[in-house]
This record gives sequence, C-alpha cells and structure tokens, in this order.
Amino acid sequence: MTLWRYVGLGAMIWCLGAMWMAQAMVPIPDWPRPLTPAAQLSLDQLRFAFGFAPRLVLALLVGAVLGLSGALMQAVLRNPLADPTTLGVAGGAQLALVCATILMPDVLLWGRGPVAFAGAALTTGIVMILAARQGFAPVGVTIAGMLIGLLAGAVSTAVTLSQGHYLLSLVLWTGGSLVREDWSGIWRMGAVLACGAIGARLMLRPIAVMALGSQTAVALGVPVAWLRAGVLLLAVWLSASVSAEVGLVGFVGLAAPAMARRLGARRPGQILLAGACIGALLLGVIDLALIAVARGGGPALPSGAMTGLLGGPLMLLLLPKVRAAIVQSHSAPHRRERADLCVFWLICAGVALAAITLVWGRVPLGWGMLPTQLWPQIVPLRAIGLLAAGASGALLASAGAVLQRLTANPMAAPEVLGVTGGASLGYAAVVWLVPAPGPIALALGAGVGAACALAVLLICVARADLGAARVLLAGLAVGAFSSAVLAVMTATGDPRAWTVLGWLSGSAARVTQTGAVALCALALLVLGVLILARRVLEILPLGTGIAQGLGLRGARLRIGLILLAGLATGAASVLVGPVSFVGLMAPHIARSLGLVRAGSFVAGAWILGAVLMVLAAWGARSMTYPYDLPLGLFATLIGAPWLMIALLRRRGL
Amino acid sequence: MTLFSLSSVQFDVPGRRLIDGLSVDVPEGRVTALLGRNGSGKSTVMRLMSGQSQPSRGTVSYQGRSLPDWRGRDLARSLAYLPQVTPSTDGMYLQELVALGRYPWCGALGRLGRDDHAAIDRAIDLCGMAGLRDRDVSTLSGGERQRGWIAMMLAQGARTLLLDEPTSALDVAHQVEVLGLVQTMCHTQGLSAVIVMHDLNMAARFCDYAIALAHGKLCFQGPMEQLLRPPILHQIYGLPMQVVTGHPHPLTYPIA
Repeated sequence: MTLWRYVGLGAMIWCLGAMWMAQAMVPIPDWPRPLTPAAQLSLDQLRFAFGFAPRLVLALLVGAVLGLSGALMQAVLRNPLADPTTLGVAGGAQLALVCATILMPDVLLWGRGPVAFAGAALTTGIVMILAARQGFAPVGVTIAGMLIGLLAGAVSTAVTLSQGHYLLSLVLWTGGSLVREDWSGIWRMGAVLACGAIGARLMLRPIAVMALGSQTAVALGVPVAWLRAGVLLLAVWLSASVSAEVGLVGFVGLAAPAMARRLGARRPGQILLAGACIGALLLGVIDLALIAVARGGGPALPSGAMTGLLGGPLMLLLLPKVRAAIVQSHSAPHRRERADLCVFWLICAGVALAAITLVWGRVPLGWGMLPTQLWPQIVPLRAIGLLAAGASGALLASAGAVLQRLTANPMAAPEVLGVTGGASLGYAAVVWLVPAPGPIALALGAGVGAACALAVLLICVARADLGAARVLLAGLAVGAFSSAVLAVMTATGDPRAWTVLGWLSGSAARVTQTGAVALCALALLVLGVLILARRVLEILPLGTGIAQGLGLRGARLRIGLILLAGLATGAASVLVGPVSFVGLMAPHIARSLGLVRAGSFVAGAWILGAVLMVLAAWGARSMTYPYDLPLGLFATLIGAPWLMIALLRRRGL
Repeated sequence: MTLFSLSSVQFDVPGRRLIDGLSVDVPEGRVTALLGRNGSGKSTVMRLMSGQSQPSRGTVSYQGRSLPDWRGRDLARSLAYLPQVTPSTDGMYLQELVALGRYPWCGALGRLGRDDHAAIDRAIDLCGMAGLRDRDVSTLSGGERQRGWIAMMLAQGARTLLLDEPTSALDVAHQVEVLGLVQTMCHTQGLSAVIVMHDLNMAARFCDYAIALAHGKLCFQGPMEQLLRPPILHQIYGLPMQVVTGHPHPLTYPIA
C-alpha cells in the first residue's frame, strides 16, 4: 500500500515540523497541560495554548473538510476538475457573507454558517442547472462554475469597494486566514468534519456505482438525480462551513483528491479517505511553512491566498486528463441580411446616445438637462471622460471579438481568458517596481501582462492540442492564478497594494485629455486593422486544419492577433480595471443581432462596446450623484446579470 | 507519375510511434483509398501528406518537391485537405464558404476578381449545388454539407484532394453521392484524390488504387482489384474475409 505509506510520510513530516516549531516557541518541559486555567499560564504559554495549537489543528481540520468536499464533488460529477472553488461554491459563500456584512449586518447574528450556506447553495444551484443542460459534461460544468465564481467575486469586490470603510477586515477574510485566539472554531470544524465523514460513508456504495456514468447507474437502480443532489448538498455544506469559519481557502479540494489518485488511490472510498487525509496534511504543511516565514520576520500571509496559487497551474496540468465530451452548440444565430444597414443604425444610435448622456442626467434637483449656461465649463470635461470610456469599451470589445474568432468560441473574452488578470499582474508589477509610474508606463505594463497571459495560455493549449472549450478553461485557470497572486500581494498589507486595489474597480475620473485622445486613436487603429484582417478572421475559426489547408500562415497571424488583443485589453483596462464583462458582452450582442460575418461582426462589436461603456460611464456618474462610482464597477454590475441570463439561455458552452 | 512520395517516414508522439518507416508512392490522376484498422495511422499519414504535421524522420515529397520547400500558399493552390471533422460554420452561406477557397489566390486583402468568381461558380455547379447557394451551411443535410466543403476545395483550384473519412457520418445514399462526386471529378477533370475509407465495398466501387496500413507500416499497395483477395484482407484486418463475385465489383464480408 504505497498510498498510505506516502500519507504516513506526509504525516511524519508535519509532526516533525510542528514539534520543531512548538519547541522553538515554548521549550517542551514548559508545555501547558491540557485544561490548565489560563490564569496560571505565562504569556508564551498562553500564545502557545490559544494561538499556535488551535491554528495547527484548525489547518488540519479545514484541509480535511475541503479535501473531502472536493473528493465528493469529483466523484459524483465524474469530473476531476470539480472543487468548491471551480464550481463557484466558495465564490457564492463569499458573496453572501460580503453582502450580509455590508448591507444587512443583523443577519449575521444567526451566525455566519447559514449565510454562507445560503449563498453557496444558490450559486451551486445555478451551476447545476447549467450543468444539467449539457449532460454534466466535465469541461462545460467547470466553465460554468468558474464563470459564476468569477462573477460572484467581481460583484463582491464591487460591493466591498463601494463601502470603503469595511474594506480591511473583508480583504483579510477573503485571504483565508487561519490565525486563531481560542478553540471555539475547532469544535465547530471538528463537528462539521465528523458529520461529513458519516454522510460520505452512508452514500459510499451509490457513489461508487456513479463512477460508471449516470446511464449505467440508472440501469443499476441508483436514483441518480437524488444521489447527485444529496452528495452535492453535503459537499456544498462542508465547503460553506469552511468559508464561514476561515474565509476562502482555494483549490485544496482540487489538489487533494488529485494527489490521492496520483499516489494510487483507485476506489471511490479510498479516494474520499485519502483525499481528506492529504487535504489535511497539505494545508497543515503550507500553514506551518507560513508560520515559519512569519516567525523569521517575513510577512504574515494568509494560508488561503497561498493555496490559491496552486489552483491555476494545477488545473492546467489536469486539463489533458479530462474527458473531452463537449456538447457542441448548434444554435447558429439568425443571420441579418443587411448587416451594413444594421451597423449604420448602430452608429447613429451610439452617437445620439453619447450626445444625450453629455448633457442629460442627474442634476442637483432630480433629472434633467444641464442648464445651458454651464455647457462651456462642463461639456468639455464630460466629453473627455465620455471619449475615454467609449474608446476603452470599443477596445475591450475588439479584443473580445478577436478572441472569439481565434478560439472559435462565443464565450471567449479578455475577462474570461485571464487576459485582464494578466493585465492586472503587469499593472501591479509596474506599481511595485517603478517609483511613481506614469500612465504610459502603467498602460505598457498592463499590455505586456495581458500579452504574457495570452501567450502562456496559447502555449498550454498548443502543447496539449485542446478543444475550444478547454481553451476557455485554461484561460480561467490563468485568471485564477493571477487573482491569487493579487490576493497574496494585497494580504501583505503593503500600501502599494491599495493603489492596485483601487485600480481594480476602474475609474474614468483620472483620465486626461491626452489620454482620451490616445485611447480613441488606438481604438480606431485597432478597428482599421481588424477590418483589413476580416478575411483571416473568417477562416481562423474553422480550425488549424482548414486554415493551413488554405495556405494561411496560422502561427504568425495568431501571434499578431494575440498581441493586438493583449494591447487593446491592456490599454483599456488601465482606465476600466480588469473585470467589466464588456469584452464578453459586446461581441455576444453583435452576434445575437445577426452580425455573423467577420467584418460586420467586428464593426458591430466595436460600436456596441463603446455604447455599453458610455452607458456605464453615464450610470456611474448619475447613480450616486454627486459622487462618481468607479466605471469598471458599474460596468460589472450591468454585465453580471446579463452574463447570468446569457449563460442560462445557452445550451452547451 | 508519382503524386506523393513518402520515404522511410517515421512519426512519433510522446510514448508511441504512430508511423514506423513508411515508404510509399501515391500515383497521380487516380482515386486512391487509404485503408487500415482503427489506429493503424491513416489519419496521421493524411496529416503528413497535407503538411499539417512534420515527420519525425524521413521525407514527404509532393510532385517531386519535399513539402517543407513548398510555400504555404503555393501548396494550398495545388493541394486541398478536408479534415475528418468539418468545423461548424456559424451562419455562413454556402457561396461564402466556397469563396473562402479562393484565399490562396487573393490573400487577406485582395479583391475577388472575375477569375475568382468564375472558379466559385464552377465549383458550385460541378458539385450540383447551384440551387443551394444562399443556404446557411449549418442547415444543409450531412451529404450536402460535405459536398459544400468539397466545392470549397475545388474552388481552391487544387489538383489534388485529400479527404479524411469524408463519409463517416453519412448514410449509404449520401456516401454514394459524395464519393461519386469525387470519382467523377477525378475521371473527368483529371484530379487526384486520396480518401481515408472504412467501407471496403465503397472503396471497391469508387477507388482505383489502394494503400493499406497496419500498425503504422505499409501492408499493401496496388490496384484496387488486387486488394480484394482473402489473404491480403486477412493481413490488413486480422480477420478471415470472404470475397464473392459481384457485379460490377466483387463484394467482401467478414467470415468470423
């Protein structure tokens, strides 16, 4: 049994590490006896008994609960990528807790657990509705889950940022800190683990039958729907309990069962048990390492942020193993006959809308026109903001359109493919490395980061020769990784992190006249290039086989288009921030308007992106008048519900 | 005259050798069937011949010139390839799909000239699809869609067609329709075609030359009628096969 030997080895390493840390803190003869009254303990002994020891135990318990939860989800969905983080469960719990903390603090009197569970159950319900529509195909389910998770994360960031004074504690909580000062959480977590273990044991036999696939399971008399619902409910409750107790601890549920299988666990029971053990040891060892770093004078990093770093690379490693059964969507959109006419009307509508938002909106007494005598002072200022917003929307939409054509996938977008995540890493790198960076340096940093993220993505995809849906998943993994890095950066508490955090929400207020003009010029340039490249954009979605058969120099064109999309995203996200979903929405709307040929598709998406962002800018200005909301935040609030509806209406991803 | 000449070609993927020292010549002006069991390397050979993959060892030459020496667009003007699974075409009309075949001639920016339009019209007419020009490709039947893709290959102006299992998803009537089209093209227009096939009886009816692979190696090469003999078929498929005289072609079926 090599599996259990490995687990034993891990346990030994953990024990030795814990002993060593413990004796460094308090020499062994002075260790406090259990149940000694606190009054009789010295300060070091107190810290040992109520800080260090509970933290060690909590790490093990949380790890075990997450490992068990992940293993349950993976078994019942037959999906090696399932995990509380990838299925959007943790994101839902987080969103519910953030909303409750900020909007309805009274609710928290009932305890954090029920709130977290309600949020988690809601998102899981949505993900499962989406999953059922595509026959629980692993890739599609994971994409839906990660999208919902991304969405929940974006909305909770938006809500957090809109209430700045609560920021600090929430950010720390999001990082998943295991720091404790008593044992109360331990008993709760222990009880959760015990219930979870009993529940899993009771459902073990039918879960084992599910491993044969749902059709076989039905044939063997397993009530598949009930079983699936029951097991998922158990797994969701487990992970929501963790969210309520310590915050987000990402990807342990993905890593632990994967390691268990890698080390030779085969039968479902084995995987569940080994998954829980390995999860416990994994989080335990990571937490010990972080304690050691903190004691050595390094920053005190929360464990959840560190495990988040595992997620992205791990998913990319696991991707080739996933069953490739992808439900192809044959819902070709209705095609418009006079695409040029449609584009023309879009332009007219856009210009009219921009003109209206320039002068109409919230005024000191309700809604109305801006008084004409104020026009000379205010209209030019507003025009700059408007131009910048429109141009960045157009740029994001162009990037989305290119990516959708490049990957032949209508759900591709800079936000989804991790491009904006890369852009934020580039931005953060510039903030960290360059003293007092200017806007051009920041834009360049974001652009290079975006292009790097895309390059990483394409290398992974090219090596494993993945299908279009898996490209999306790889992109989401890249995005998850970059947001984990950002979370670690924020958790260090460095003041520069706040610059980055402020940027995440995006704001049109900082833009200068030169900046607006430059953005417009870039947007027009990108449009021109894409119109010229329309024939290429028509052929590329047909796949490398056809493209190469027609003599297209695929590799070079792809790299060129990727750089273009990266640059556009980087430039736009300096103004708007990384998440806005405009890059996903605009091309999607263009398609549903019947603009399917490459030329009219690109042009339509460009205009729609600009229009959406102009609307967002107007809303951000009027909503909390006389204060400006961050632009990207407002765009997210529009985009999120739309994306949800679009996802629910789709069949197959 | 040889169309393709493969000399000691080897193709490896991590952990497996898909093609092992294959040397074979494909004749020009004929319909060549590429046969073999699943996993015998047929699709790999197609990808090697179309330049989609490069051999790990050995050379593939087309019309006497090694494939890497061909410029991408020149090769595309002469050689057309249809992958096993045709991609979905998202709202594209038939004539627009066929027009994409002119890409090797007019590039990303060039306008479609009179020659181009003539080539497109001719391709559509040859495939008997004149009535379907303005139909959305995704609404066509399986056989019509496959004919549409072949029309794109014809519009490409290529003299050589490589088709990877063009009939795998079609019923018998559509199989006859598509293969008949390819056969007519080759016999009347002087084109050459290499087709990956599974159905021996279809191959016997529509192809004049056969190349059979087994375990990545050459198993048989020669005119179609020489292939249809029990010992050779046994060698290819590892199964006793019977050949009965039929008209106009012999029929084969497995005994066991």
